[in-house]
Amino acid sequence: MNDADLELRRRTYAFFVEHGRAPGAAELGEPEEILAGWHRLHSEHAVVLNPATDELRMLNPFSVVPTAYRVQAGGRWWYGNCAWDAFGICATLHTDGRIETSCPDCGEPLALEVRDGRVDDESLLFHVLVPAAHWWDDIVFT
Amino acid sequence: MNLFRSEEHIARWLGGREPGATITAAKLVELAYAWWDDRLSPDWRPHTREQNQAILERLGLSGEFWALP
Repeated sequence: MNDADLELRRRTYAFFVEHGRAPGAAELGEPEEILAGWHRLHSEHAVVLNPATDELRMLNPFSVVPTAYRVQAGGRWWYGNCAWDAFGICATLHTDGRIETSCPDCGEPLALEVRDGRVDDESLLFHVLVPAAHWWDDIVFT
Repeated sequence: MNLFRSEEHIARWLGGREPGATITAAKLVELAYAWWDDRLSPDWRPHTREQNQAILERLGLSGEFWALP
């Protein structure tokens, strides 16, 4: 990953955190150049694009689109791509937070508070279905 | 990668599928902080496979299931 792509990634994340939404390519520069850069970053798993639209889909741990993992942190609501990423949003923003989701089995609402890097309900369990070797085969499914 | 109320709920959700790996929410928070902490750093560089594998192993997540490609 070259310095220009690292800088594009940094600017993309900074826009997302500042505005609470993903930028369109034209908001960061000449659209064709930005899209080409995002495609390179996508190929290196540094961002995830929607293949159908070329729009940003994930800025891990953030999800650009709504998911089952809502996170309140830093004065704003975010979406995590999964439970791991939901906690990752607090870690990334270096702040406490609240995670709201539901048990995928029974639908019971689950709400967790994260304070100083610890969770208030340690009884819940995290299940990973896909082995690590295959996480990026289909990152949306993973 | 989901949160469940208990092992019983995981088993029912799997519905006969092969289980993956299960860890506690406390361990997940440790993992999330180790994995994502630097994501907004101006000096961020992509983690190498070895760096990420070391994070997993430091938290006791080892074996074939947790082996990165």
